Amino acid sequence: MLTLPPVVQPLTTTIPLAVKRSLELELRRRLGDEQVASDPLDLYVFGKDSGLVRGEPGLVVFPRNTTEVATIMRLAGRHGVPVVPRGSGTGLAGGAVTTGPHVLLVTTRMNRIGPVDVENRCVWVQPGVINLDLSIHTTPLGLHYAPDPSSQSVCTIGGNVANNSGGPHCLAEGTTVNHVLAMEIVTSDGDVLSIGGPAPDPTGLDIRGLMVGSEGTLGIVTDVLVNLLPPPPASRTILLAFPEVQNAAATVSGIIANGLIPAALEMMDQPMTIAVERFANAGFPTDSAAVLIAEVTGHPSAVDAEAELVRRLAVSHRATLTRIASDEAERKRIWLGRKSAFGAIAQMNPDYYLHDTVVPRTRLVEAIEQTYAISKRHDIPMLNVFHAGDGNLHPLMSFDASVPGVMERVDAAGRDLIEMCVAIGGSLSGEHGIGMEKRDYMHLVFDEMGLDAQARIREALDPDGRLNPGKIVPQGSRCFDFGRPPPVGAWV
Amino acid sequence: MLRLRPTATGGGLGVSLAISADGGSGLPTATPETIEEAAGLMANLPAGGDRIRIHGGGSHRGIGYPVSSDVILSTSGLDRVVAWEPDDLTVVVEAGVLVEELEQMLASKGQTALLPEQPGTGTVGGAIATAISGWRRYRYGPIRDRVLETTLVSSDGRVVTAGGRVVKNVTGYDIPRLATGSLGAMGLIARVCLKLWPVPQASATVPVESPEEALEVAYRPLAVLETREGAAVFLGGTPEEVSGQAAALGAVPTSGLNWPSHPSGAVRFSVRTPPSSLRGIVDGLDPGWTYLAQFGVGEVTVGAGEVDLEELGELRGRAESLGGALVMLDAPPSLAGAFDPWGTPPPSIEIQRRVVNLFDPGRRINRGILPGRI
Ligand SMILES: Cc1cc2nc3c(=O)[nH]c(=O)nc-3n(C[C@H](O)[C@H](O)[C@H](O)COP(=O)(O)OP(=O)(O)OC[C@H]3O[C@@H](n4cnc5c(N)ncnc54)[C@H](O)[C@@H]3O)c2cc1C
Ligand SMILES: Cc1cc2nc3c(=O)[nH]c(=O)nc-3n(C[C@H](O)[C@H](O)[C@H](O)COP(=O)(O)OP(=O)(O)OC[C@H]3O[C@@H](n4cnc5c(N)ncnc54)[C@H](O)[C@@H]3O)c2cc1C
Repeated sequence: MLTLPPVVQPLTTTIPLAVKRSLELELRRRLGDEQVASDPLDLYVFGKDSGLVRGEPGLVVFPRNTTEVATIMRLAGRHGVPVVPRGSGTGLAGGAVTTGPHVLLVTTRMNRIGPVDVENRCVWVQPGVINLDLSIHTTPLGLHYAPDPSSQSVCTIGGNVANNSGGPHCLAEGTTVNHVLAMEIVTSDGDVLSIGGPAPDPTGLDIRGLMVGSEGTLGIVTDVLVNLLPPPPASRTILLAFPEVQNAAATVSGIIANGLIPAALEMMDQPMTIAVERFANAGFPTDSAAVLIAEVTGHPSAVDAEAELVRRLAVSHRATLTRIASDEAERKRIWLGRKSAFGAIAQMNPDYYLHDTVVPRTRLVEAIEQTYAISKRHDIPMLNVFHAGDGNLHPLMSFDASVPGVMERVDAAGRDLIEMCVAIGGSLSGEHGIGMEKRDYMHLVFDEMGLDAQARIREALDPDGRLNPGKIVPQGSRCFDFGRPPPVGAWV
Repeated sequence: MLRLRPTATGGGLGVSLAISADGGSGLPTATPETIEEAAGLMANLPAGGDRIRIHGGGSHRGIGYPVSSDVILSTSGLDRVVAWEPDDLTVVVEAGVLVEELEQMLASKGQTALLPEQPGTGTVGGAIATAISGWRRYRYGPIRDRVLETTLVSSDGRVVTAGGRVVKNVTGYDIPRLATGSLGAMGLIARVCLKLWPVPQASATVPVESPEEALEVAYRPLAVLETREGAAVFLGGTPEEVSGQAAALGAVPTSGLNWPSHPSGAVRFSVRTPPSSLRGIVDGLDPGWTYLAQFGVGEVTVGAGEVDLEELGELRGRAESLGGALVMLDAPPSLAGAFDPWGTPPPSIEIQRRVVNLFDPGRRINRGILPGRI
């Protein structure tokens, strides 16, 4: 894949060789050689997530439990070396990419699922547990974990918590933050802290809510109490096709405006449908400008009426196909098709850049029209597959980075997309996070005081910049009554 | 209450403060009409007279440690609906808007912000500051899931906006979630964007014998509540769904949502437990107390004329041992001094203190109200 770091140049800091050696030695002594990697190939492999930016960690560590995470945090802190948590590296914003020779803490060996509390429908899971494995584990009990990112067969719960990840079924059920009751974290000081709880509304500020979506900059999540749901008693999955993208977008707006919040409302444009069909054979019509997948779930006596409402609205917006999946096999095939969109893209061009922005759902038509205009202007093909019900766009640029000048055009198109979405009332990211990718766009949605407040949060939980530095908050954000010099020995 | 307008000075923050005393509390009361006025007011309070107490509708004045203040800031002048996008299901309102008036407006287009159902004089800002979620939480989740954007005013006059007017957003730290339930410690909650839901076409109230069994039978009811008068399932959905669900529950429904009234008494408190432990807590309540229990959620609100401190302490001990809490909502002054309103502070208390100190550096708004006397 890509070697050029086009979007944001990582901050590079140096760490004296002697310091690095001493830290590595101590880590090996305390955790064992198996838990520490430092050879150049490892450092290279762990230099990237699934986004565009590359970095290179100084060391990679694989803790097996909370105590080891705390040990790493303390030892690294004592050496003045920041720590960057990482799950599976499927993040797309450079969140798990180090901005200097830092310690990369990989959670994949912390993958235990605790006993399921069936009565309260919740379970403690370690951060390295794979999202889909959790649902597979709890299915025999008639329960599942609702947030279902398309990457769910590889991404970790820790990464989901850190990015507040969503998925096709988050429209009605909400994103990760709506399904996390409590967690255990290791703080920037290396202390172990429990946050939230199994009862509603723990007293004081909602630090649990703050931790979700904080991208590994406020603490390392070492255990999570997640909520589980029983499957809905009935569901209907409806495949719709339209002659124009605008018709599909208008149908989405129409469904929401008619007071129906389906479980999922996903859209694909024609280039995407063709790619997916070739790859996954899901039965999507490749001759339509847009395909919409709507799923309604709930009480058996409600779903038919709701499916009919969706169908009627689609027809009123010129739908050429309105097919209700006749059985579970067909339903599964539709969803497999939807979730393999990114795999399909990998076949087209050597490189892709999956974008993530969000607009008010009433502005979808406009946003899509402008997306096509931006694609044309920069001559970068963009395929669209997205969570239409939330207004969460995912234009996917497909290109060959080895062609001279392409990366500059990708970069410029990305910037235009973001500026367009913000101009029509949207925000920078719906679910992939800010990381490094969008850090320097934060000023588009936050004014000076807003950015300063973001920096204050960071300062409250990680005053010395020990956790995942260079992410989310642009440098120089803390501008009011700024009085604290960086502590000696810290690389910030 | 005497209503006061700050006078413009021209230049600087544009506001100087002229306040006079209000009859009730004896404290001067300021009623800013815009966010800028609120910011100017707070930033320009004289040293030594600058501790602020925020007053919304006053229905939950009793929450938290008693606040000593020099000035009351009433949100009643911040009473505008700034933007309502019915097709987007979002609304932007100022904090002083009455819950009742907002819900009435939204209902005209079949929408709701799911704010507390019997709000009395309660304001939107008060509901968010206290994080009180209302009864439909079992179906729709807590209030903090619906606060999309907040504009906070710090006591030093900073106006901080965070979140966004979109339903899904991971742009920066979730300050709106911190503000929800902050009781003013993150600043005056001046303006918020809320996520709305469509009001179901049909609704019904179904009396049941056992809330626990009803929860097994009903699929996502709005609420399953129990009081001393009995238990009921509250249903919402399409007409077919509501009648189908009522039939499955095997009882004769009455149409519409007949919410029980709030438990009353000089002493009011809330006990929170994991949902499956609620029955044990409810059955152990003193027979002299009234209560409203939310099954499936794990909260019971209790009203009592008077309480035995030992009994209350034991109840708190049980709730805390289950991972929950007993939180005082209202208490006569005699009790307020003798019984801690929050109980054992959460382990993250020092982090909370650091966050609050950075948002309200002089700790001037509702000082000391939160657990740990933050
Ligand atoms: C093909 C594809 C499809 C995708 N589809 C979706 C989708 O539908 N919806 C969606 O929301 N996202 C999607 N993503 C993005 C990505 O999968 C999610 O963000 C996911 O949650 C990242 O998990 P991870 O384990 O790979 O985390 P990583 O990429 O390893 O890390 C992500 C962030 O989390 C932090 N982090 C990781 N573990 C911890 C921890 N234990 N404690 C604290 N911080 C931690 C890292 O520092 C980093 O900032 C997709 C990505 C790909 C490649
Ligand atoms: C008697 C009664 C009992 C009720 N009981 C319940 C119940 O048990 N469950 C339920 O769901 N609903 C209940 N409600 C409805 C509803 O919860 C309240 O009306 C509402 O939540 C509180 O709003 P308020 O404006 O009255 O708050 P206030 O009492 O004015 O304020 C509560 C606290 O929040 C602070 N505050 C207020 N506004 C702001 C602001 N803008 N920024 C920062 N801080 C602020 C105040 O300083 C105070 O500490 C009840 C209503 C009444 C009248």
